[in-house]
Amino acid sequence: MSRYLLRRLYLMAFVFLALSLFAFSLGYLFPGDVIQNLSGLRQIDDEQRQQLINYYQLDQNYLQQYLAFLSRIAQGNWGLSFASQQPLLQEIKLLLPATLELTAYALLLSFILGIPLGIVAAFKPHSLIGKSISALAIAGYSLPIFWWGLLLIMLFSLALGWLPSAGRLGVLYEIPHSSGFMLVDILQADVKYRSEAFHNALRHLLLPTIVLATFPTTVMIRFVRDAMLNVWEQNYIKTAQAKGLSRGQVLYRHGLRNALLPVIRQIGLQFSTLITLAMLTEVIFSWPGIGRWLIDSIYQRNYPAIQAGLLVISTMVITINMLTEILHALFNPLARRG
Amino acid sequence: MLLLDIKNLTIELETADGLIRAVDKVSLSLREGETRGLVGESGSGKSLIAKAIVGVLNSRWRVTADRFHWLGQDLLRLSPEQRRKIIGRDIAMIYQEPSRSLDPTAIIREQLEEAIPDNLLSGPWWRRSANRQKKAIGLLHKVGVREHQRVMQSYPYQLSEGICQKVMIAMAIAKNPKLLIADEPTTALESTTQAQLFRLLASFNQLKGMAVLLISHELESVARYTQKLSVLYCGQLVEAGETSQLLQAPLHPYTDALIKSVPEFQPDLAAKTPLYALPGSIPTLQHVPIGCRLGPRCPNARKECVKTPALERQQNHYFSCHFPLTTKGRR
Repeated sequence: MSRYLLRRLYLMAFVFLALSLFAFSLGYLFPGDVIQNLSGLRQIDDEQRQQLINYYQLDQNYLQQYLAFLSRIAQGNWGLSFASQQPLLQEIKLLLPATLELTAYALLLSFILGIPLGIVAAFKPHSLIGKSISALAIAGYSLPIFWWGLLLIMLFSLALGWLPSAGRLGVLYEIPHSSGFMLVDILQADVKYRSEAFHNALRHLLLPTIVLATFPTTVMIRFVRDAMLNVWEQNYIKTAQAKGLSRGQVLYRHGLRNALLPVIRQIGLQFSTLITLAMLTEVIFSWPGIGRWLIDSIYQRNYPAIQAGLLVISTMVITINMLTEILHALFNPLARRG
Repeated sequence: MLLLDIKNLTIELETADGLIRAVDKVSLSLREGETRGLVGESGSGKSLIAKAIVGVLNSRWRVTADRFHWLGQDLLRLSPEQRRKIIGRDIAMIYQEPSRSLDPTAIIREQLEEAIPDNLLSGPWWRRSANRQKKAIGLLHKVGVREHQRVMQSYPYQLSEGICQKVMIAMAIAKNPKLLIADEPTTALESTTQAQLFRLLASFNQLKGMAVLLISHELESVARYTQKLSVLYCGQLVEAGETSQLLQAPLHPYTDALIKSVPEFQPDLAAKTPLYALPGSIPTLQHVPIGCRLGPRCPNARKECVKTPALERQQNHYFSCHFPLTTKGRR
């Protein structure tokens, strides 16, 4: 297992090397002045320019510049945003938890709904229930998410008026910022209207979570169903049945573990799609997360912000990918073999 | 006492081109403590019959029989739950590829221990798990695995096919079954391990009176370890009877050809003479001939062979052929 871990980490180092090289070269590939792109400053006079050239080591060769770039990233000196002239790292720290919160709840919802539905669909493939679950999964899979989000807003926010259509929390509530995760912050906050605020935050969360969870849930249903059907054909299931175990015992002891193993891996593979969809969802629901911020930055040609957003999101996707791989190996003895 | 009594078992598969009859009116019976071999080429429906007995066939297959009795109870009339209970109690089965018949994600200990039924464990409930483990180790010793410590903690991929098959047998005998069905148990194994396993099965048969249904395509090894023999061709039962009698005086041309094709049964065959073989090859199940399915390949076939011959009986020797070979003029 430790050898497996070492090999994975070794591979990951190369991926991060490539990623950092790409992010570094973006500063030069973006149109406009290299110094502006690197620092994020808009007006630069001659004296300041000389200082910045020294700071970014632009008079040195590319290798030196790359090393300087790496040490700046490590120190947390990521430059300023063109739009707000604020340090980028600070902005990202404020925005990232909102995205993570939304994504985590959507993933959780997709597990809670997707796995049982997939199992039911696998066990009753020819019944009405099984067929309607499969039909629903196909429909959800092919639903354009922005259209689906707008439909839900029209129905629940505009027509029925049950749920808010934008933001994370009503303007009536003032919650001090600590972890950035809204529900956690509310529970930690020392305010009188805690339960009301919590309720309000949940109402804000509901629609975006449903919209974002649609895609992973349908993927999960289809995947669990296929994996279960496949596993149920295997000889070891027949052995377990011949041992005299009941259907539930066979499912629990041998079916689930083998069928859910590929699902763990699937989470890692689907995570990048999920982040992309989270960006769309954030735009639709005006959710103050990193996705909406990145899309705004692209519209504003905010090059330093694009570079930083790329670094953060790619790192996140790669790390999650790696974690699910390691989890998969932890549960699957065959993957550990070598 | 008759353990298993099957008459006219038919197994069909529904496809887009109509019904395919993979097993055609096969009769099979087993007494307590008997060893019976079931021989036939691949695709002759041997494994299907075994799976139909244990009840693990896919729902795509349609199983019908005039009689399908286990200890006097008609299995086909029972609900799936009742059937599973009876089979789980009395019948065990081992398969061709042992490493694929073990759950790849569970250690051997887990899989072996869950095969031990609760009613075989003595003692109060808090001693159960210790007893269970002791019994599992005992089972491994019985099948000739000495290093139980290592094997119990291993995953199936870490063990050789031979050890895996021994673990399968240990799991099968855990519940003291009345019948053990071995579906080509040695195809994936080396020849020394093969002999070991056959001896193991034979010893359980002799010591515990466990009936064994041995399914194989290797006539010589089956003949050595069984008392009775049934020969299948293309899903039809061609001949059944005492193994020794059947080998000495086969009545069906297919059995005759099968015996002649094994060099060990032909001691006076001159060097470099070709072995006897029937012309042609087995038809696919979509295009089986009507009547006796051996018809087009049979040296003795005549016009009457387009009708399926009924199973006839000469003392304990059953055969289905219109023109059986006579014992006259043979060695």
